[in-house]
Amino acid sequence: MEPVLEVRDLRVEYGGDGRTVVGADSVSFEIGSGEIFGLAGESGCGKSTIANAVMRLLKPPAEITAGSIRFDGGDVLALDARELRAFRWRQIAMVFQSAMNSLNPVLTIGEQIVDIFTTHEKLKKRAAREKAGALLELVGMDPGRLKAYPHQLSGGMRQRVVIAMAVALRPRLLIMDEPTTALDVVVQQEIMAQIRDLQRELGFSILFITHDMSLMVELSDRMGVMYGGRIVELADAKDLFAKPLHPYTEALMNAFPPLTGPRRELTGLFDAPRTADSCGFHVRCPEDRSDCSMNIPDLREVAPDRWVARSAARSPEGATR
Amino acid sequence: MTHPTKPTAPLLSVRGLTKDFQVGTVFSRRRVRAVNDVSFDLPAGRITALVGESGSGKSTIARCLARLEQPTSGEVLLDGEDVLRTQRRRASRAYRSKVQMVFQDPFGSLNPVHRIEHFLTRALVLHGHSATHEALCELLTTVGLTEDMLQSYPHELSGGQRQRVAIARALAVEPSLILADEPTSMLDVSVRVGVLNLMRRLRDERDIAMLYITHDLGSARYLADTTMVMFAGELVEGGDALAVMDAPAHPYTRLLLSAVPDPERAGSYDPVERARLREAILNPTSCPYGDDGTCSRTEPVRHIVGEASEARWGSPRPEAGGGQPHWVRCHLRAPASDIARRVLKATDRTDGEATDATEKAETTAA
Repeated sequence: MEPVLEVRDLRVEYGGDGRTVVGADSVSFEIGSGEIFGLAGESGCGKSTIANAVMRLLKPPAEITAGSIRFDGGDVLALDARELRAFRWRQIAMVFQSAMNSLNPVLTIGEQIVDIFTTHEKLKKRAAREKAGALLELVGMDPGRLKAYPHQLSGGMRQRVVIAMAVALRPRLLIMDEPTTALDVVVQQEIMAQIRDLQRELGFSILFITHDMSLMVELSDRMGVMYGGRIVELADAKDLFAKPLHPYTEALMNAFPPLTGPRRELTGLFDAPRTADSCGFHVRCPEDRSDCSMNIPDLREVAPDRWVARSAARSPEGATR
Repeated sequence: MTHPTKPTAPLLSVRGLTKDFQVGTVFSRRRVRAVNDVSFDLPAGRITALVGESGSGKSTIARCLARLEQPTSGEVLLDGEDVLRTQRRRASRAYRSKVQMVFQDPFGSLNPVHRIEHFLTRALVLHGHSATHEALCELLTTVGLTEDMLQSYPHELSGGQRQRVAIARALAVEPSLILADEPTSMLDVSVRVGVLNLMRRLRDERDIAMLYITHDLGSARYLADTTMVMFAGELVEGGDALAVMDAPAHPYTRLLLSAVPDPERAGSYDPVERARLREAILNPTSCPYGDDGTCSRTEPVRHIVGEASEARWGSPRPEAGGGQPHWVRCHLRAPASDIARRVLKATDRTDGEATDATEKAETTAA
């Protein structure tokens, strides 16, 4: 089946005075129709860079220097300003990190939702208001809340409003960048259930970005783990969680104290920046990785749909192991 | 430093702590009871976790103990002295030198115009220690930072490093208790475990007691010796951290636990079960621990459901004393309804019709 989104060998660089930082490097993945794809990794690993690249939101000094992004077969990188305006929100919508603070505090929820319909669908005010009410019901809120200002709603409700706005134009792909980071566990669980509901009802695909591995495995079908701008492991979410093949994936999973099993000392992750001559992680890498310490190797398919960034000699089925 | 092997008097005792806030305008003034009749002990050299949702009153307790808020009523006994009586208006410097606080936001708690050296020097000098270069370096080394950071400004440090500076500042006065209000929730995953491990090392090496406030149940289980669960301004369960997490006795604790994503636990999100738990919290009909005949709908009776644990986990000197038996508040006591509904239904509508909407959403999610 034709994937909805196809990212190939994407490279994003942040230029500065005299030095360049690679935000993402050789990133390739695709998202099928109705699929939930997750990207996990710590801050600064390039997850949000990818999301912004797909939305064409990157601004200088960030620059896409190589690779392609295709949406429904069309080249996203070739869109001009007018086409972009039609593309964003109608084709791909995004829920930003701390999105609940992205609502305009001086307008009511209703005015902000109605605005979407009058601008993008050229609806009359009245029709737009009706659609806005229906939209709130879709995310389990009372349409009467259209008259509320953002400060009158709790964090979880504001997040629902933002999600409702994102799906207002029935996009084919929804990008969610840490949608629940600022919420506490119970609200988080409710929002996640809401997202799953909506996804089932409307059938869009999701690019889901978080650092919380447990949350990701619960929601996603397939997932990629990013480190230092590269994807180090790409697989079915359940498989990946059951048996991580890359040491970084394992380290990331161990960064969260579990709720079950015996208590044991955790080590956490190592926060060394990736530089030109080191992936930063090799210092903490539990294995001898002398063959890859200088850089993160390319992804290799070790089993059907299981990709891991390790050199052939060190893969599980490798002869030298 | 000598260390008691037998359970001794707790370092800090809280009795009947209550805090009301006035909300609304002059014309519609109301009182909201954020903390209602809370009592607990913080034993020396142990980490006590206080868990609960946003709005359950956890931070209010910490702010009352740090004397940043004036409690409406209750007693706070430090070494047997009721500090709310003897130091009516504000805490004495002696109190502050024993009880220190680490805040959630390391970006907001360090003044951006000063160098790291300034924060530590000030804490040392104010509390009568001499701020020698050695003393400053030792503080930084204790929290895992290097001495060249003394000349750094807060914006030059990462979130994890800033939080370590905040901890170093608290350590400067050699406190016996640190109140840590969500110290890791604003930090990146890559440094969270590091800060938790630091807190445990301080407990082991300096016998510092901690009140660790969090909504991250996994980290409470990882770090704490004793855990207390707070709901709608009241404590509903407490005891050994592992016992509370592995055999939760109160429906609210179960509800909290079921909300944590955990792929290893099969069927973790069961909407029918969650709806049942909500009902059991808001409109309790029976209490499974009623054998001792002390059940009460009006009094916050505590049923004992498990043994006390004396062990301090993961420590080279595990015996610390002060362990609490695993207790649960009688299920029959329903919480103050307005607060409870506000907490439980934070994402729903304000009034009664909310219940079915959520449950409907949850059922379809299944």
